[in-house]
Amino acid sequence: MRLRANDGVGVEVLGDTVYAAPLPDGPIMVLEGIAAVIWREATAQPRGSVAAVVAATTGEDAAFIRAYVDGFIDEMVSRGLLVPE
Amino acid sequence: MGDTETAIPLGVRLRLGRAAIQTIAERAGADVLHIKGDAVDPELRPHLHGGTDIDILVRPAHVTALDRALRGYGWSVYTTFANGSPFGHAQTYKHPLWGYVDVHRLFPGIGLDPGAAFTRLWRDRTSMDFAGKDCPVPARTEQATVLALNAARGRSDSLQDLRRVWFDASEQERAGIEAVVADLDARTAFDAAIGQLDRHRGKREYRLWRAVSENGTRLDEWRGRLSAAPTLRKRALILLRAPMVNVEHLGHELGRPPTRPEIVREFFARPLRGLSEVRRRRRTERRR
Repeated sequence: MRLRANDGVGVEVLGDTVYAAPLPDGPIMVLEGIAAVIWREATAQPRGSVAAVVAATTGEDAAFIRAYVDGFIDEMVSRGLLVPE
Repeated sequence: MGDTETAIPLGVRLRLGRAAIQTIAERAGADVLHIKGDAVDPELRPHLHGGTDIDILVRPAHVTALDRALRGYGWSVYTTFANGSPFGHAQTYKHPLWGYVDVHRLFPGIGLDPGAAFTRLWRDRTSMDFAGKDCPVPARTEQATVLALNAARGRSDSLQDLRRVWFDASEQERAGIEAVVADLDARTAFDAAIGQLDRHRGKREYRLWRAVSENGTRLDEWRGRLSAAPTLRKRALILLRAPMVNVEHLGHELGRPPTRPEIVREFFARPLRGLSEVRRRRRTERRR
């Protein structure tokens, strides 16, 4: 399953930072560091591959970070920022 | 605004803000064109990156619907059409998160009826992506024309805009702009932008464009507005409004709503300030 930014969510990427905002009210969520990497990979890879790609990018152990990655993605989905494609 | 919001780069905030405005406009059923700033083709403004606020042109028949929708989504009126500029062309709204948007109901220098002018610009529109949202913008030649007309009002970055869109333009590009200027009946303002205003000496709008393009005094501007008024009724309205204090502007300068004594003081100070500007201008001219 792939994810994408929900309709009605504005997304801007500047450098390594992702800014996401429900429109038209906001607020603007600022995703930096590992959060930005997870967002970018979650919208580019099948969900099951995200942890491995993030691990490769950050040099962390995939098994160790998988729960954190999944938890973060679940949070983005529950906030309505990401939805299944 | 909270600490986390102030850390957001202005350019990002504006791009998200344009997407927010477009969302509101669509929900209100209002046609809007995004203009100026980061809504201009980067090839036309290679010297500029982004802007400081959001500008949109709204179909005049949709102004009321958009106004109602903006207020409903937490935007407050900062300056009104009546008090914003001598052209009465834009109303500024402020939002705690997105900042400022200038809602134009017409564009200064365009002589064509505002509704017909919007329809002409809308006809060939294209779109730009802001934060993943498609936002309608005028076509490239129309954007260049709008930049030139904007420069006619003596904007600080106007020389660079004019160089790119007109003085360095190809014959084909110039012909395109000339055609749009003709369609929009914008000859006087356009000539003011490119330094050819004297061709229009004696015309109704001449004094106004001379005042705004050469950064004239308030008195010059006011006389120009009087000369440019097409009907006796409009002249009378300008005359009646002249002594009134722009309470919005005074409030912005003070940073709070002005008190009654401050409004009275400003009532008497305004004409004096107009005179002192004239005196200062005359002294400067004598020194030249």
